[in-house]
Amino acid sequence: MTYFILQILPYISVSVLIIGLLYRMGRWASGRIVHNITLTPAPTTQAGALLDIAAEVVFFKSLYKADKSLWSGGWIMHVALFSILGGHIMGIGLLGLQFYYIGLTSEHTSEYLSNLLGTSFGVVVLLALLYLLYRRMAINEVKQLSAPSDYLHLLMLIAIVTVGNIMRFVPEWGIHYEPVRDYVANLLTFTPITPDMEVMHKPLFVLHLLLVQILMIYLPFSKLLHIPGMFAHRWIINRPYVEPAPGMPGVAVGGTGHAVSGGQSASGGVQ
Amino acid sequence: MPLTETGLKQPVKASAADMLKININPVPDDQKVEAAIKHLNELGQKFRSLMLTFESCVKCGACAENCHTYLGTRDPYNIPANRADLLRKVYKRYFTPEGRFFPRLIGAKDLELEDLEKMFSYFYQCNECRRCALVCPFGLDTCEVTMAGRQLLHWLGMVPKLHAAVGAAMAKTGNHTGLTKAGIVDTCEFLEEEIMDETGVEIKIPVDQPADILYIPSSADFLLNPNTMTGAAKFFHYLGVKWTISSEITEAGNFGLLFDQRATLRANCMRVIDEALKLGVKKIVWGECGHGWRAGKMYLPGMLDRPGRIPIVHIHDEVRYYIEKGALKLHKEVNSRPVTLHDPCNFGRACNMCDTLRVVMNACVTNFVEMTPNRERNFCCGGGSAILFDDPEMYDLRIKFSAKKAEQVRETGVGKNGDGILCAPCSICKAQLYPMVEEHELGVEVKGLIDLVGLALYPPLNK
Amino acid sequence: MAFIEVNGQQIEVDEDGFLLNPDTWSEDVARYFAKEEGIDELTEDHWKVIKYLRDYFFQFGIAPMVRKLCKDTGFSLKGIYELFPTGPAKGACKLAGLPKPTGCV
Repeated sequence: MTYFILQILPYISVSVLIIGLLYRMGRWASGRIVHNITLTPAPTTQAGALLDIAAEVVFFKSLYKADKSLWSGGWIMHVALFSILGGHIMGIGLLGLQFYYIGLTSEHTSEYLSNLLGTSFGVVVLLALLYLLYRRMAINEVKQLSAPSDYLHLLMLIAIVTVGNIMRFVPEWGIHYEPVRDYVANLLTFTPITPDMEVMHKPLFVLHLLLVQILMIYLPFSKLLHIPGMFAHRWIINRPYVEPAPGMPGVAVGGTGHAVSGGQSASGGVQ
Repeated sequence: MPLTETGLKQPVKASAADMLKININPVPDDQKVEAAIKHLNELGQKFRSLMLTFESCVKCGACAENCHTYLGTRDPYNIPANRADLLRKVYKRYFTPEGRFFPRLIGAKDLELEDLEKMFSYFYQCNECRRCALVCPFGLDTCEVTMAGRQLLHWLGMVPKLHAAVGAAMAKTGNHTGLTKAGIVDTCEFLEEEIMDETGVEIKIPVDQPADILYIPSSADFLLNPNTMTGAAKFFHYLGVKWTISSEITEAGNFGLLFDQRATLRANCMRVIDEALKLGVKKIVWGECGHGWRAGKMYLPGMLDRPGRIPIVHIHDEVRYYIEKGALKLHKEVNSRPVTLHDPCNFGRACNMCDTLRVVMNACVTNFVEMTPNRERNFCCGGGSAILFDDPEMYDLRIKFSAKKAEQVRETGVGKNGDGILCAPCSICKAQLYPMVEEHELGVEVKGLIDLVGLALYPPLNK
Repeated sequence: MAFIEVNGQQIEVDEDGFLLNPDTWSEDVARYFAKEEGIDELTEDHWKVIKYLRDYFFQFGIAPMVRKLCKDTGFSLKGIYELFPTGPAKGACKLAGLPKPTGCV
């Protein structure tokens, strides 16, 4: 079973994720932007539109203006989650020495910082997820909107994060960066893993990885499609719009030709 | 009607005879579900915005407290995400892998006849105001779902009598209220006399005359909003341009946008352009109408099946342009009563007109008070997308939908002495607000913006 | 389609109770509608408005602008509402046997 999860499932889950996303995005692309449904006020240049989209993606600008408490939970959750994803790449790829490589700290401090950041964001994301779960159950409107899967998505993330946090806080259940790097290197180079590798003997690591892979498999078939969906839909409604030039044909502008006195216009009658 | 007994509020439906007038042969009940699924597939495949709205919503609920229909009724189906779910659940069930295999898990469901009745009720309780699109973190547009839902219902033969009657009147006469050319000419002559009595200036309202400018008024201006029509006439006269209205298209509105985009919207757009080319005008100037201007500005250019090289602008943008050029002498002291401005949703969130409205407003009145929220964050009047139904049940809903607006107007304090003005530069807003300011006892008079421009250009003699 | 019965005659009306065909109108129809609208008795003022609306409609094929109606009959808008509580469009036009106005009204 462990062998299946570590050796075979990753290829399946990555394929499903990529093919699934391509399938969904391909379907979107086959639909047209039929009408101009730009939300206004709209910028007048493409750069302005991209800036608007960037502000939405990075800061959740619209949501901030609309619902501060949801924004707090949602934005913090997403930022922490993306930091953790980045942290995984840094930790596993550079063994936590990223701050050392850019010349900020010593090797030791870099690894320490890496661990500290990972642990902190792990706690933050868990708290944010718990708030979002509470919100889904406590606020009547959100509860009325929720399908079983809406709770399951949150529970799944909570499970993944909890397992990750336990691995952080209980060192003997956790795992160091190196063995994971070796494992990932094996996967990437299609080298078979061997039974003596450390990853095979860390049940929580296996569980963590299993849960993540399940998530990757269902992502293209769930509301988690909002990740590419956000870009795709913002691309439709946050567009530049250039106004046609006003000004009536045959009108001299600037006060001339409009000898106005006592509220009477001297401009000619209309034939 | 058994469904009304279950508490489902619906506007009066158009009869089969009414539907035939707008070229729809209603689908019999036993075939409706099958036909609806077929149409839903077409719509989903065609509109990327619709597919994205179906597939990307995370049900965060940010839209709930930002929708005035929900705030006014607390009916869960008036939460935008839930309203969209009426269609989304069905779409997912039939057209997504997850809905096909795990319908209950993700909240997908088979389509039943009763669902269509529910859609008819709730898609006609949506004002298509797009405030939900503004607040949605992804910008998902429930208006697109409402439009798709109404289109689908239209193909099945389920359209409110009001909308179907307007569609038929438009096809027959070129305007929504069924004005005949004789009626238009007579009303214009009457309005010319009114202007003469009011200002002592002889101003003509030309009908079907050769001209440079084709003005597209809202036909409601010929029944309810005389000052909007005269305001525009005064403005054109002041500039001295050769302008005309056309008895073929005396309608700024386009109900096709609201219930049938495939045929009615296109036909009405073409009607404008055909008439403009026939008259040989150089420019089309649109009148005060919110959804109609959205159709004219954002939809029309993409719908023409002949080249459209005639610029189309809104009269407020023109007024602003000449104000900024210093070409207008405006006697703003005439409009000294306290005024607040209701930004029509389509002007604010779909047509980029908030700044323009304020430039014009500030040039024409002395006591302008902003309501909060304003501009693109403004709440709808509750009549948006022409849900101006007057059977008691639906009228009661209109009162509830306008509750938020009433609260906003009250907070400005413009009506506290009973002499305030609520400026609502849109025919649907006006039609909704005329009775609603009475229902909510706001102490304000509803006026258009161009009405105020007209007054400031040619001050009344007795003032 | 719905029908109303006036003087033993079946007259066709639409879903909102407006006459389908203005030619089927009679003074008794107006009285019948008046009862529906909660108007106790049709006075000379009522008839003046009703007659004016019918004349205008048959000349121009459409109901007159509300302001014109007021000016030509000499009633203020408030006066019209006193005569016809549901207003000029939905009250007075109905009694006059005109079709229900459509559009943004």
